[in-house]
Parts: sequence; structure tokens; C-alpha cells
Amino acid sequence: MPFREINSKMVEATVIPGQKMFSQRGAMLAYRGEVSFTPNIQGGQGGVMSMIGRRMANEATPLMTVEGSGTVMFGHGGHHIQVINLTGDTLYVEADRLLAFDGTLQQGTMFMGSQGGVMGMVRGQVSGQGLFTTTLKGHGAVAVMAHGGVIELPIAPGREVHVDPQAYVAHHGDVTNKLSTALGWREMVGRGSGEGFQLELSGSGAVYVQASEEKL
Amino acid sequence: MFRLQGSKTLAVDLAGDAVKAKNGSMVAYDGRMTFKKMTGGGEGLRGMVTRRLTGEQMAVMEVTGQGTCFFADRASEISLVSLHGDKLYVEASNLLCTDSGLRTGTTFTGMRGSAAGNGLFTTTVEGTGQAAIMSDGSAVALRVSAQYPLFVDPGAYIAHQGNLQQHFQSGVNFRTLMGEGSGESFQIRFEGEGLVYVQPSERNTIGGNV
Repeated sequence: MPFREINSKMVEATVIPGQKMFSQRGAMLAYRGEVSFTPNIQGGQGGVMSMIGRRMANEATPLMTVEGSGTVMFGHGGHHIQVINLTGDTLYVEADRLLAFDGTLQQGTMFMGSQGGVMGMVRGQVSGQGLFTTTLKGHGAVAVMAHGGVIELPIAPGREVHVDPQAYVAHHGDVTNKLSTALGWREMVGRGSGEGFQLELSGSGAVYVQASEEKL
Repeated sequence: MFRLQGSKTLAVDLAGDAVKAKNGSMVAYDGRMTFKKMTGGGEGLRGMVTRRLTGEQMAVMEVTGQGTCFFADRASEISLVSLHGDKLYVEASNLLCTDSGLRTGTTFTGMRGSAAGNGLFTTTVEGTGQAAIMSDGSAVALRVSAQYPLFVDPGAYIAHQGNLQQHFQSGVNFRTLMGEGSGESFQIRFEGEGLVYVQPSERNTIGGNV
């Protein structure tokens, strides 16, 4: 796996000739060897149509292609970095949380409404994900940013996990999520516990939660 | 049962019992949980009025259920404090979670509070059980014994427990008045037996500016 954690806020990636990597533009801190950074107007893979798709979905973060041979260190804004290794499953993450990922991974955009229809769209709004989210699929590693440390919670059938939408970072695996509300008369009179909305994730996989309720 | 998952997330295993936590600090849970806001920090009408009057307002929710609940707040570092019948003094803003066996209340702190930038009153936690306190950077617990009094910067103080007397002292001199102060003109002196929790960061205080 090409990512090595130097400390909680920096990762080092090994770049091998012939293997591309994508990273958020400006996230490079230092590098060794012969490495070139090319801004990627398309914002990822998949040609012009994918680019237009991402632009429309507002999931276009400025990315750059990293190529060459050597090692590169990445870090951004002092955020904590979590390296997630994917083995064939799909990671759902917000585009602005992506720090760097393997070129072998397939990048895509998912419409929130495709999971649960209108409720999916509402869920996207509540969790600040918007109407679209980015998916990464295949074998490889992803470095994801979060505010504060990240914990990984496994999801198994019959053991669903509830997450505060603001603390949600990413999830992978075969997971369905739905927005569960615990709104009662207390919320209506302004005496809520601050936990009125939760994301309920069920299936099998894992969810990443940050130790903070702040967005990036 | 409280345990730390990393240094910034608190995991609490619940089996039908209840804990009190800062409002909105849940980040995830598995199992079944209910969250209920407790008006006035769960101290009844009298507590509510006292908190309003003293400005030590604390939005607390009661969490009940079965499973594991995870708490975190703005990526603050968390320290666990065990209480065995003694009293913990902590700022309401630094208190994350308390066991069901603990009672909370307010107390007058005098001069120290206003210099520490957190008002004249502070929150007390007493009983037997565990509490989780938050700090900006990981907190150190410093022991105070009869021969060794401890001096703490008011901006870095977060909590203390045990049988301690606190005195406020100032080193204001000619230089301070000229605007050439070292920024360390005020300290809290702790005497007695107990523990003081200090964070590696300073709040903005009146004392820190002179």
C-alpha cells in the first residue's frame, strides 16, 4: 500500500513510474526524487463527461496528478488524516475530504437520491453532503481528512451504527444509510438534546467518524 | 463504563443505565439510545435558577440505552477522572460527560474565576463514579501535597479535585504598569492535598494580557 502515516497529520506516499496518483491540489508538503505535479482540470478520472458531471454535482475539487518516481508527503490544513485501504469495495466520501488516492481506484459521483429517493436527498442536506457524493471503487488506498481524530466503527448485520451527521466522515462496504429522526415536542419548543437527526447505517462495512462536529 | 477511543473520543458502554453528557456531543452509537435534554443540568428547578443567575449555564442531555455511545466535542482532548466520594471542580465548558452516580452543582470561586476568564462560579461534580473532562491539548494532572504548593496560570487551569485551597496572587509591579509585563502577572496558588488538571494552552484572560 503506497501510503505510510508519518504522524497523525502527514502521510508519505511512494510513487512508482507508470502508476498515477491523484491528490488535492496544493496538498503536497515535500517530495524526494523525480516527481511531477500536473493540475488536473477534469478533477479526476473519466474524461470530459465525468468532469461535467462533477461540476454539475458540485463535487469538483481541484485535483492534481502525481507521477514519477520518489516519495511525496501530503498534508493539508492541519487536519487529521486517515488512510483507508480498499479491497474491491466502494468508499463513499465527500470530495473536499479527499487528500490523495491511488490512480487505480475508480472515481465516480453518486446522487444521494439514488439511495432512498427523496429521503436520501434530505439526508444529504442534513449531513452537509449536498445532493451528490464521491465514490471510489477498486483496490488501493485513500487518504481522507477529518477534523480531530477518526475512529472506525464496524457495521455488521443486526448491529447498525447511528452517527451524528456532522461527525460523519466516510463509509465503505455494502451499507445502506437512512436518516432517522428522533424529533419530539422537545425539539419543537427549542429544548432539543442536539441529537435530533442521526444517520442510521446498516449492512456490512465500516463507518469513519471524526471526534468533532465541525466541517472541514 | 468509560473508556477512551484514541485521545479525542470517549466511548461509554451502557447497559440500561444513564449518563449525563454535554448537549449535542454524541458522534456515533450502536445499539439503542435515547437522548433527552435536561433543563438546568438536571439539578431541578433550584439548580436551573442558580445556573441562570451565575452564568454557569450548562446544556446537558441524559443518554439512556443499551450499547456503546461515542462522545466527542470539537476535537478536544479528553481525560478521565475517577471520583471516590470527593469533589471535582471544573468549568461547565470543560465538562463532557458524567456517570449516573455523580451529582453536579455550582459553587462560588471568587477572584480566581474572573481572572481565569471563566466567571465567578464554577461547576462541581461529586459522588462516586467517572467523569470526562475536555481540554485544548492533552491535560496533565499535577499533584499538590502539603509541602509542595502549585502555581497555575489561570488561563491554563481546567479542573481540580481533592482538598485544596486556592489563593489568587499577582506579581504586578512597576514593569507591568509600564506595559512591559511578562504575561504571567497572575497565578492561582493551590495548597493542600489533591490534583490539578492543566492544559497546554491558554484561554484569553485578563491576567494573560498584562
